[in-house]
Amino acid sequence: MDERVLVVEDDPSIREVVTLGLRAANLSVETAADGREALTRFRAEPYDLVVLDVMLPELDGLEVCREIRRGSRVPILMLSARSDTLDVVVGLELGADDYVTKPFEMAELVARVRAALRRAHDRPDGEMLRVGDLEIDPDGFRVTRDGAELQLTATEFRLLVELARRPGQVFTRELLLQRVWGYEYLGDSRLVDIAVQRLRAKVDAEPDRPRLITTVRGVGFRLERGR
Amino acid sequence: MRRIVPAGRLRRRLAVTFALVAALSTGALALGTYLVVRDSRLDDSVAGALAQARTNLVLAGTVLQGSSASQDVSDLLVLYARRPGFETVALASGPAFSTSFTFGTVQIPAGVQGLVRSGDLAYERVEIAGLPYLVAGGQVPPSRTELYFFFSEEALHDDLAQLRTILLVGWVVVVVLSAAAGALVARRVLRPVAQASEAAHSLAEGLLETRLPVDADDEFGAWATSFNEMAEALEEKIRALSEAQARERRFTADVAHELRTPLTALAGEASLLGNHLDRMPPEAQRPAQMLVDDIERLRRLVEELMEISRLDAGSEDVRTEPVDLGSLLAGLLRSRGWETSVSLRANDVVLETDPRRVERILSNLIENALAHGGHDAAVHIGRNGTDALVEVSDLGPGIAPEHLPHVFDRFYKADPARTGGGSGLGLAIALEHARLLGGRIDASSEVGAGSRFTLRLPVAKPLRAGTDADERESQDERR
Repeated sequence: MDERVLVVEDDPSIREVVTLGLRAANLSVETAADGREALTRFRAEPYDLVVLDVMLPELDGLEVCREIRRGSRVPILMLSARSDTLDVVVGLELGADDYVTKPFEMAELVARVRAALRRAHDRPDGEMLRVGDLEIDPDGFRVTRDGAELQLTATEFRLLVELARRPGQVFTRELLLQRVWGYEYLGDSRLVDIAVQRLRAKVDAEPDRPRLITTVRGVGFRLERGR
Repeated sequence: MRRIVPAGRLRRRLAVTFALVAALSTGALALGTYLVVRDSRLDDSVAGALAQARTNLVLAGTVLQGSSASQDVSDLLVLYARRPGFETVALASGPAFSTSFTFGTVQIPAGVQGLVRSGDLAYERVEIAGLPYLVAGGQVPPSRTELYFFFSEEALHDDLAQLRTILLVGWVVVVVLSAAAGALVARRVLRPVAQASEAAHSLAEGLLETRLPVDADDEFGAWATSFNEMAEALEEKIRALSEAQARERRFTADVAHELRTPLTALAGEASLLGNHLDRMPPEAQRPAQMLVDDIERLRRLVEELMEISRLDAGSEDVRTEPVDLGSLLAGLLRSRGWETSVSLRANDVVLETDPRRVERILSNLIENALAHGGHDAAVHIGRNGTDALVEVSDLGPGIAPEHLPHVFDRFYKADPARTGGGSGLGLAIALEHARLLGGRIDASSEVGAGSRFTLRLPVAKPLRAGTDADERESQDERR
């Protein structure tokens, strides 16, 4: 266990208490107080997860998120000021995996961090899956199209595997929240919507007119049986 | 409530009154004129006829010299026939003579003849062959020869008829003109009233910049000026009020926002502290436990303050999807650990709404019922026409009637001394969410028997629906 977490937060008290809380959960924690420092640290050493505040001096959290996603699939958990501002949506669209709203409970933060780490490491095992021209290797954590590997984050990968295991079945947002994010009840369904969107952008030939992952109005999503 | 008065009713009433007054006064005048003229003309006619009759009788006396011989009477009548204006009938001892075939003894009125025989000069108006005549008669002294003169009054009657026609036509013209003038005047007089009514209406609808034109130096001008002053004062007042309200709300939002950062740290620290309570010295354990609990309370209060500021700011979007109320509630009870204390009786109701908000509303209502209602609550899901109903009832002490209208007020506590676990915002937040979904919440209560909160939601899509999750999806897809 001893996974490495980078906590990026400008408020010293929150930074310290989050550090203490995550250490108490047997995680190895390092911190950064602003966006620039965060990127410097992230590039210098490998991390298993980043906890990222949205409002940061120097370089804001959304910028940092975008920069990290350029070259890494590391799980990112946003600390957001308010759940209903654009921050959340923009953060998720930039590739964050989940978010927690301030003020949060430590237990909730730890649970989300653990769930994100689990997604990244507990690879769904099973045989190779083939959907359309995609080849999914759950064990190898790889998706290839015509031999070329697609860069999916852990969350996107689990979402794809979950859908691909039962092609043709409609998944409600609640079910996906439960199976992919590990939420018991009524999480924010925007997580699902935005992750599906990002996944489509990567796996559907024409994301504007999705043919692989389709929306079933009022119900949820479905991965179409082979084309 | 604005009373709808058909436009122009007052105007019509004014015009009618105007015409009526004109009709009565000119009618009386015309009638009076006509009667006076008619009487004087008729009197003149009588006087003329009698004067002529006297002259004729004197002439007859001279001509007849007491004779009543037929030849003499006949000569007299020949003499009369040369004179214009009247026809004569003579009754002597022999046969009756007449200057005209039209007149004879038959046409002589009996009353006149009676008076003439007793020696008087008499007259009467008669109608002969449809024409008006004045008959005047007398005896020629000293003989008993009676002479009757028939004066035609046809010209007189024609004149009177003409006068009547002129007066009637004149009267009608005056009435019509005065009605038109009345309508015109009424419209001009009432135009400012109509304008003012329109202006007041648009003021009431919130167009605070509405003003009346001041274009006359009369009473209406003065009225318009004071109306405008009132509107200006109102506009100023409302602007000041809404600025104050916006300031207040911004302040609340800012306070909540600023509290967030230290509170996040506090909450984290408290939860770490809570993990080590049992390793603390015994005398520190209780205060530490209270600290942890109070920080949790503070955290909830700030969260609710932030929530209600967001609702006040009106920046909330509604994301609807089909929601099965029964399974939503079952899930809610399960996740909050309320399965044993809350009984659920659910009909099958599915509606298009925002599940996160419905969940928020119901969890606040149930929390309130459990806090004030003796740790037990019952939830019933049903339908009523086009509304979905969720009733949350408890068997608690109930709410006194004077407190009932205020239960949705922010920070309202029926008993100031009672410090419940709630922030005092739970019901206010529930109500705001319900409004956002196009619904409402009604509270009813009976002291000693319990309270019931009923959430009503339209089964069709709420009016103020934001983008549906799937629509949003397809918009995103198009992006």
